[in-house]
Parts: sequence; C-alpha cells; structure tokens
Amino acid sequence: MNRSLFDKVWDDHVVEQLAGGNSLVFMDLVVAHEITTPQGAIAIEKDFGDRLYDKRRIVAMNDHVSPAKDTATAIQAQVVRNWAKRQGITLHDIGDNGICHVMVPERGYVTPGMTVCCGDSHTCTLGALGAFALGIGTTAQAGAMLAGCLILQRPKVMRVEVTGKLPGDATAKDLALAVIATIGFRGGTGYVLEYTGTAIRALTMEERMTLCNMAIESGATSGIIASDETTLAYIAATPLAPEVRQSERADPDAVYDATVTIDGSAIRPTVSWGINPGESAPIDGTVPADAAPASLAYMDLQPGQALAGIALDQAFIGSCTNARISDLRAAAAVMRGHKVSVPTIVTPGSQAVRRQAEREGLHDIFQDAGALWTHSSCGPCLGMSMGVLAPGARCISSTNRNFPGRMGAGGRVHLASPVVVAASAILGRIGSPAEIDIRQAVSA
Amino acid sequence: MIVEGRILAIPRPNIDTDQIIPAHYLTSIDEAGMGQFCMSGMPDGPEQLARVPDAAILVAGENFGCGSSREHAAWALRDRGFRAIVAPSFARIFLENAYNNALVPIAIDPGALATFAAAVRGTIDVDNETIRLDGGEPIRFELDPLRKAFIVGGGFLPYLASKIETVRRWEAAWHR
Repeated sequence: MNRSLFDKVWDDHVVEQLAGGNSLVFMDLVVAHEITTPQGAIAIEKDFGDRLYDKRRIVAMNDHVSPAKDTATAIQAQVVRNWAKRQGITLHDIGDNGICHVMVPERGYVTPGMTVCCGDSHTCTLGALGAFALGIGTTAQAGAMLAGCLILQRPKVMRVEVTGKLPGDATAKDLALAVIATIGFRGGTGYVLEYTGTAIRALTMEERMTLCNMAIESGATSGIIASDETTLAYIAATPLAPEVRQSERADPDAVYDATVTIDGSAIRPTVSWGINPGESAPIDGTVPADAAPASLAYMDLQPGQALAGIALDQAFIGSCTNARISDLRAAAAVMRGHKVSVPTIVTPGSQAVRRQAEREGLHDIFQDAGALWTHSSCGPCLGMSMGVLAPGARCISSTNRNFPGRMGAGGRVHLASPVVVAASAILGRIGSPAEIDIRQAVSA
Repeated sequence: MIVEGRILAIPRPNIDTDQIIPAHYLTSIDEAGMGQFCMSGMPDGPEQLARVPDAAILVAGENFGCGSSREHAAWALRDRGFRAIVAPSFARIFLENAYNNALVPIAIDPGALATFAAAVRGTIDVDNETIRLDGGEPIRFELDPLRKAFIVGGGFLPYLASKIETVRRWEAAWHR
C-alpha cells in the first residue's frame, strides 16, 4: 500500500461518501468551549431535544475567559456549564481548566489515530499526537455533536520533511514560522501537513504541539505527526493514561500531493514583522525590501529596518502555541535574575501547567523580574482580556496571530518564541537570548 | 434562488475573521445583531462599508476569511446585509461557515478580480451557478453540489440528523 499517515486515519473514519466529493467523517471526540458552543448547543436542544450522538465523545470547558470578565462572558460560561450538566457531558470549569488545546492532550483525551474537532481553528494542535484534529464553525460542531460526524472535502496531503537537527538556539516556534514562510501564508490551504524527518522525530511532545498549532496559519486543515515512543510516553503520563489502540505511520512508498523539504539545521530564531504569520524573518535580519506596503504601514516599519532593536510596549508569554511547562521553563531560564523593561504578562496554558510551574518556582522568577503571573486563559492573544493592547502599542508575543487588531484595535504584534519574548521583555526592544546573561539554568 | 444587489469591493487579500469581527464581540450567545460590528476589526472597515451601505455582494481578495474559526464572521456579514462573497479563494473554515449561513461563496479567477471590483451591481443565479455584472453576460462559477442545498433550503442539521442511524450502524460494525 502507498498511503500517508493522514490517509489511514481518514480512511478509518469515513462513514459514507456523499455528493460532490464530500465525505461523512466520524469524529471520535468533540471539544466544546464557551465562545463557539452556546449557539450550537442551544440549536440542537431547540430542534432535536436531547439527542446528542454520544455524550461520552464530547468534552466541554470554559477556557477562553475563565473566570468571566463581565456579564456577557459569565452568561457564555453559564450556558456551557448548565448544558454540560443537563446532558451529562464532562466539564472542565474554573479551577480545573485551561486553554482547550493545552488541557485536552494534557489530560489524556487524545490518542493516535483519533479524529477530533472543535469550534476553534487551533484544534490542529492535537495532530501532534497522530490524530486528525481540525477547527470548524459552530454549526458544523453542532452537527458533530448531533450526528457524530462532519461533512468534509478530503484534504490533499503535503509531506513536510524537516531534515537534520534544529540548532541549539532554535525552537519549535521558529520552525513553525519557517514552515509558514516556506509554503506561504495561504500555501497550506486545502492540505493536511504531514510533518516528518529527523528534526521532527527529535521534538518533544510539547514542541510538536507548538509546530502543529500553527498549521492553520498556512491555511492548512491540520498538521499531523506519526506517533512514536515520545508520543506513547507522553500519553502514558497523562491522568487518564488511555490505552493506545493504534499507532499508524505512513507507508514507506506513500504518495503525497505535495512535498516540501526544510533544512532543520538552518532554522534561526525568528520574529514576525508583518500582519500575518507568513511575514517573518530571522531575528538578526531586516524587514524585507519588498515588504507589502499595507503591512509596513500597519506595523509602522521601514523596508531594510533591523528587527533587533525595534522598541516594545509590552511582552506576552501565553496561548495554545507556547504556554506549556517547557515554554515557561525556557522563558524563566532567560528571565532569571533580570528585570523586565516593559509591561510583561505570563499566562500559563492550563491550571495544571500553572501548578507545575509554581512547584518549580517559575512564578517567583517571573514575578521577581517584574512580570505579571496570571491564571490560565486565552487572554490577550485574541484581544479578549488580561492585557489587550492600546492602539499603536507594540507587543512581542509567544502567540500565533499578528493580524491587524488581533490583540486589540490598532495594536501591533510581533510573534516569537517564549525565549525571544523573555529576552525582549528584559531589553525593552526586540532582541535574542544571546544578548542576555543567563545566570543559572532553572532545574526541572 | 436569485441574489441581487449592489457590490462593495474591498479587493485586498487575507481579510481575516478577526478583522470581520474582533474577539471582544464574540461574547454574545445570540447570532443576531452582529451586523453592527461587521468589519470593525479592519483599520478602515467602517469607512469601507459606508461606501456602499446597502451592499449585498462583497468582492474581496484572496484567502477571504482566514484565521479564527468563528462563525460569528459569517453571522456578522449576513446580519450586515451581505448575501454573497466573491473572492479568488476562501479559507476552509470560513467557506464551510458561509454555506451553513446562506452566504453564497463565489470563487473567481484571480485575474478577474479587478473586473468584479469595478462592477456596481451583481445578479447571482444560485441554481444555475452564474453571476451577471451590471446586466452583462452570465459568468459561471461552481458551488459544492451538496452544500449548495444548504444555501437554497437550509437544513444542514436536519440533513446530518438523517444520517444518525447510518452512523450508528457504521460505528457498531467497526466496534469503535
């Protein structure tokens, strides 16, 4: 056979072929959160009563703004909370929650070969565990809860091979930005990115999640990485520790619709300069001479301007991209013994990450440096709460989107790894950890 | 089904869903009323909308609706009065959301964008998959034949509900 890993997961879940090249695709798990679930949950109950396909295949949470920041968000959380209780759906709420894409794998809900959907574009994060995981709209999510399936056009598959080994100062975030810069901000549209190669195999589970998290930023339906010892060890250490029933890999002669090869050893610490995640460059580089005028105008930058040295107003470490424990350890190692020069917010990805960080004393390092240590939330990543940018304010951020207004109307976002954010927070300008005297490594 | 009306052209690429409706308007549990916030995340969005206040057809650049999965973007466009979006390409999730909210997604040749952007009125024959600009010759486009039915007659959830027994039989057979 000559099937890709994605082909195998897909083929295992197609219930029926539908008109127009569509397929009815079974979903093993539906993740539901308070921003995109209420309308769909209400619609199902109104028109179909309590007919959910299988409540055991749904996990609900309040994660985006939790605790609520105002009456409207309190109502969203209340709707999800009451609906989950009424339907007997597992709910993760205040004190027991986290950003869905951090918490769902951390608890052990995802195993290789599964299909997962959620009304959230960064659901592709879970492809790191060898699952086919995708973001969908509210109506499609309601359909998945009602009938256990999505209607999908079969995506094409792009093999993204990363050869060699990432240099010591390059992170999974830098690789994620490099992949988007290579295939283009729209280049993944219609594809699932199947990551492979020695540099991928060497990534930890959390690094793989960072990489897959940003598959959507190339337009891709998802990213997927074949499971291996790293995956199995990660799953075995989760609270649920589920049995892994499947660990498929691509056939050696698998046929792909497209193939891209990236030299992992050439990955450099990277920062975005523009208004989409494809507009990035190595941190010791410059804004390109041919940069789009609209991007330059919004970001108030000049072609040829050095990226290192751009003055900042804020720094943020958080989000489903880079707020796991390894991200916080790495950022703390840079920040230890230093003081931040701009307002800096550190937001752990989940309550479990927060507790682990505090056991390790990372919260003291951040706070000793003058940063704010918060509870878990999606927070300012999407301009929602806890650090929204003022117009014109420039923030270096470990998040995933630098769209105009993403972190607040008129706000400017530079995407980077947690270590670059930490170093830049100290310097008050974009800069790399190489410029910081790292006092002492933080022990795990 | 005929969709007819004035055209508003914002022919720039990558109009993402954060620009169509910023996250701080995602806190309602009601789909209605989002039109007042439509395009409020685009730096010049309100001015753009004001050029053709009664537009029914939006002409945009490549990769329309990229980014967040928020169906609120489709709700906001629809509530603002749009019935069709014309663009050289759409992001996948937005495309699915458009079909589920009776926003006709019309993918055009990138080379034709300037022609569409210069037109004043459009007449869309959804059943026959054609669009006429300012009374001109019909230009063909293609819709997903299954999802097209959801534009014309709604019924996405009832359609899926009709599949439940099939899915249960499949699942039982596969011992999942």
